[in-house]
Amino acid sequence: MASALRSAILRHIRVPVTHSLALNGSRLASARSMSSHGDDHLDKQTVIDRVLDVVKSFPKVDPSKVTPDVHFQKDLGLDSLDNVEIVMALEEEFKLEIPDKEADKIDSCHLAIEYIHNHPMAS
Amino acid sequence: MASTVKYVRVSPNSASLEEARRRVFDFFKTACRSIPTIMEIYNIDDVVTPTQLRSIVASEIRKNSHISNPKVIDMLLFKGTEELNNIVEHSKQRHHILGQYVLGRPEITPDSATKEQGSEYLKNFFRSNYF
Repeated sequence: MASALRSAILRHIRVPVTHSLALNGSRLASARSMSSHGDDHLDKQTVIDRVLDVVKSFPKVDPSKVTPDVHFQKDLGLDSLDNVEIVMALEEEFKLEIPDKEADKIDSCHLAIEYIHNHPMAS
Repeated sequence: MASTVKYVRVSPNSASLEEARRRVFDFFKTACRSIPTIMEIYNIDDVVTPTQLRSIVASEIRKNSHISNPKVIDMLLFKGTEELNNIVEHSKQRHHILGQYVLGRPEITPDSATKEQGSEYLKNFFRSNYF
């Protein structure tokens, strides 16, 4: 019964082949519908704005001094523990987990923006 | 998330101040990463924000920033890890967390300005019964 139904249905269904052939590489890359990442990649200006917001909301920081090129310890007068605290705040904001090696290197807004912008999982 | 700190072993002594320093930062990161769990199990979203909790942990660490003996830092780290384990495993109750870390801190509860007058004893009484 089931196999008869199956063959009856399969005989009548025609899938348009031309449509699937039109899916070339660039279209696949731009729309991966079931993918959990890749499509929602952040553009640079969003990353800059959100990083600066995080740094400005840090209690010890004077918000007027914060620019995209500011160095946490040299320009903002923070210590190394504050630096780690900011990196943790950025992790929370962008839902990342930055490994220790990279986290140690992030000591300025510029490096933080670069790292997060290049991170595929940032959201 | 609880499993990240549950099975932490006591590590050997730090060989140098630099190593102890790195361990302090590692501990701080572990504590920061368990903040969402802590906020959830103690239901303290309406009292503090994750940012404030992070600052509180940092200020607790900064209290001991003058210590330069690696062995003492290791001991303090051990105590801190133990405390963090207790908190994450829900061995404490909500008022422990609030009394010990949240209340009586001017940056979190600024309404304590009215209690500033009076003797030193009274000020300490109003601030906290945790030392």
